[in-house]
Amino acid sequence: MTISRKCVPFTPFERELSQSTIAIVSAGGVHLRTQEPFNIADELGDLTYREIPPDVDSDQLMVTHHHYDHADADEDINVVFPIDVLRDLESEGVIGGIAKKNIGYMGYTMQLKAMYEGTAREIANEIDRGSRADAVVLTGG
Amino acid sequence: MKGVPTVLVTVSPEVSAQMRPPRALYPKGFKIGNSLGRPGIRDLQKKVLRDALGLLSQNTRPGEFVTIEYPEYGEQYEPPHVKKL
Repeated sequence: MTISRKCVPFTPFERELSQSTIAIVSAGGVHLRTQEPFNIADELGDLTYREIPPDVDSDQLMVTHHHYDHADADEDINVVFPIDVLRDLESEGVIGGIAKKNIGYMGYTMQLKAMYEGTAREIANEIDRGSRADAVVLTGG
Repeated sequence: MKGVPTVLVTVSPEVSAQMRPPRALYPKGFKIGNSLGRPGIRDLQKKVLRDALGLLSQNTRPGEFVTIEYPEYGEQYEPPHVKKL
């Protein structure tokens, strides 16, 4: 897959939202408490990402990110990673379901080329091949 | 890979615009760390997420941001600006 540097990479959405599976991809440094935290000691940033399952208990999610104030996310992860909100929308029939894989990564990096050409493509492939997502909601911090 | 439709919720529209996201919602005046609103206010979080998901099937122009005001958010914050070199 190549990413155009000239055109906006627009993919049409041609399904009914109520029949669609939605994934969250967040740059807000969200991960499971049991997963390795992002490496905030590295001044260049951390290029890795974490997979988050759809049935995760939101109390088991946390933030490791030192480039924004995540006190509100520490109190309620849904302000940057709206997993419980998606569940509400699923139960109300607004969306069809939550994807098998959701992704958390740390949006801060000084390694832009590696993020753009490496991590971003890996995340896109995870979503495309492994998540069964029909659409993605992207959030930052 | 045929591509996956995406919608971005950003509180830093000027910064996010540099990556030319295909669809984006800017909840006006939300501070960094509050992409979906304030903690514990599920109705607001749900409204923002519904609006974002709604952009998937609206006739938006790729690369443009949709700004929506949510008075229930309360105190407003100025988004960060891109430093011009």
